[in-house]
Amino acid sequence: MRRLLALWEKECLALSRDVLGLAVLFLMPAAFIVVMSLALSDVFKGGAARQAEFAVIAADPKLADSLERNLAGDGFRSAPAPADEAAARDGVRRGTPSLVLVVPRDFERALSAPFDARDAPPKLTLLADPVLPPTQLLAFRQRVLGVTLSLRVAAMMRRAGIAANADAFDLKRAATLSVETIGGSGRPSSVQQNVPAWLIFGMFFVVMPISSLFVVERREGTLARLVSLRVPFSMLLLGKVGPYFVVNLAQAVLMLLAGRTLVPWFGGETLAFPARWDLLAAVTACTSFAAIGWGLLVAVCSRTLEQATVIGGVGNILAAAVGGIMVPRFVMPEAMQKLSEVSPMAWALDAFHAVILRGGGAADIAAPCAKLLALATALFAAALWVHYRRRVLTSAQ
Amino acid sequence: MGTLNVEALSFRYPGRGETVLDRVTLEIPAGGIFGLLGPNGAGKTTLISIFAGQLRGATGSIRAGVEPLEALRRRRPHSLGLVPQEYAFYPMLTCAENLRFFGAVQGLAGARLKERIAAAAGFARIESALARRAGRLSGGLKRRLNLAIGLLGEPEILLLDEPTVGVDPQSRAFLLESIRSLAGAGRTIVYTSHYMEEIEAICDRVAIIDHGRVLVSGALSDVTRDGSGLQELFMRLTHRSLRD
Repeated sequence: MRRLLALWEKECLALSRDVLGLAVLFLMPAAFIVVMSLALSDVFKGGAARQAEFAVIAADPKLADSLERNLAGDGFRSAPAPADEAAARDGVRRGTPSLVLVVPRDFERALSAPFDARDAPPKLTLLADPVLPPTQLLAFRQRVLGVTLSLRVAAMMRRAGIAANADAFDLKRAATLSVETIGGSGRPSSVQQNVPAWLIFGMFFVVMPISSLFVVERREGTLARLVSLRVPFSMLLLGKVGPYFVVNLAQAVLMLLAGRTLVPWFGGETLAFPARWDLLAAVTACTSFAAIGWGLLVAVCSRTLEQATVIGGVGNILAAAVGGIMVPRFVMPEAMQKLSEVSPMAWALDAFHAVILRGGGAADIAAPCAKLLALATALFAAALWVHYRRRVLTSAQ
Repeated sequence: MGTLNVEALSFRYPGRGETVLDRVTLEIPAGGIFGLLGPNGAGKTTLISIFAGQLRGATGSIRAGVEPLEALRRRRPHSLGLVPQEYAFYPMLTCAENLRFFGAVQGLAGARLKERIAAAAGFARIESALARRAGRLSGGLKRRLNLAIGLLGEPEILLLDEPTVGVDPQSRAFLLESIRSLAGAGRTIVYTSHYMEEIEAICDRVAIIDHGRVLVSGALSDVTRDGSGLQELFMRLTHRSLRD
């Protein structure tokens, strides 16, 4: 145990003097958390939060006014109507407004005509800004069709001599629809996505200081000297686990605090702390073991600092890109979402979301945590295997 | 501990065809300094690495007195000290931190650790540099720190692999003097170097090896009996062609 403590102390001292290594471990994820939480805040809020302006051009001002009133709301705000269709096209090209509904002169008359399934339905044109998110465009399209249908029903009732209150055809009054998300909000907010995501990314970056010091130890003959002192290679590896586990825990605490204080200080939303700290600690520990295992394998496989940097850095970036760290998985196409299941960062993110976002229990984190622990064990075993296979040094036992 | 006896020691690196050590037989008595000479690639460092337990798979035997060297190392893990030709310490740690670390991994602690650090630092005359980062020391101080680390465990067998490379004449003279003073008291010292004058100055016995074979071995006075110096003998035995 004394030897292990000495190895831990040495590792801590070495890391404490590695300014770049500390910056990569602490400043980089904190910066990503703040920047990405703010930059992606609108994307994570969804269509309802992104106000899009629309206008209606119709020959009948009363009809235009009625359509505007019925279409407004839920993320759509009416804007002054352009003078004509040409002006509307110019405006949409510039993005102001994002949407213009062009109603032809005989539209209301076509709506009032007796319904015949063989007739083509009345024609409307919607001019749309191409940068508008497809889901928002679809929502507005459905809204237009809904309002049109209510106008047609009102016309049919009038023709049949049935009196009805105009409010009865107001889409917003059709029903009180409450959306209840089961298990938290389901989809993360920007800060809920970015804090665990960039925390995981930062945790896996222990690969850099672990492997760079290991390469120096091997190059400088320090490893050979330790082996000649009969320090088992497995103990040398364990000597790196303890300090970096503490580093990973410190990263978790600081990144959660960044989400809680730093992001709102810059104008973003505040991260809500989870109810189950024990589960959060378990998820952090499992992620840490996987990250350290990865660091040890890269360290043993790399012969130079350049190799360690390339293998460790590129490996992390790829795992992050695939695993939903850089791009949330819910915006990925289905094939990519399936592919993301191979990334350990995705497993870690699932486990963090289960705790932070969904308020899940032990059963919810069991599968991703088991996968992370299995990976950590496999990586540690692989590091030992590669070492003995290469016979760079021999075991002293 | 007694004499270090190497008998018919052979070694080849896995996956490589060539034999690095070919039935090497040496007798390295305790109480003196044994000079191991050879051109680059002769097998000196491989031999030292096998002594230090860094390479396995060698055939033949190495005995410390009557006991196999490996058994001695198992019984007394710190009976062997290695001073490699590289600066085998942590450049980002101070000299004191390096000494404390290497002492602790040898099982030293508390007052005993402090005592050994003070003794090793005093011997290598690095007391004034204890608080300085090892990576920022001069070449001479680095070599002395390297030596001090090798002496922390008071080893009975001390392996010095080119310990004076890259130092100024003053540091070199100091290192040679210090190493000379380590001989005796039953300690076995194996010293490799490319500097013939160093070997002639401090070694009692020498061996010249090349292509993994022992070309000559014995007391320094015996191998240079014909009046030619060690340098001339070395060049005659190993030929003058460049090796790397």
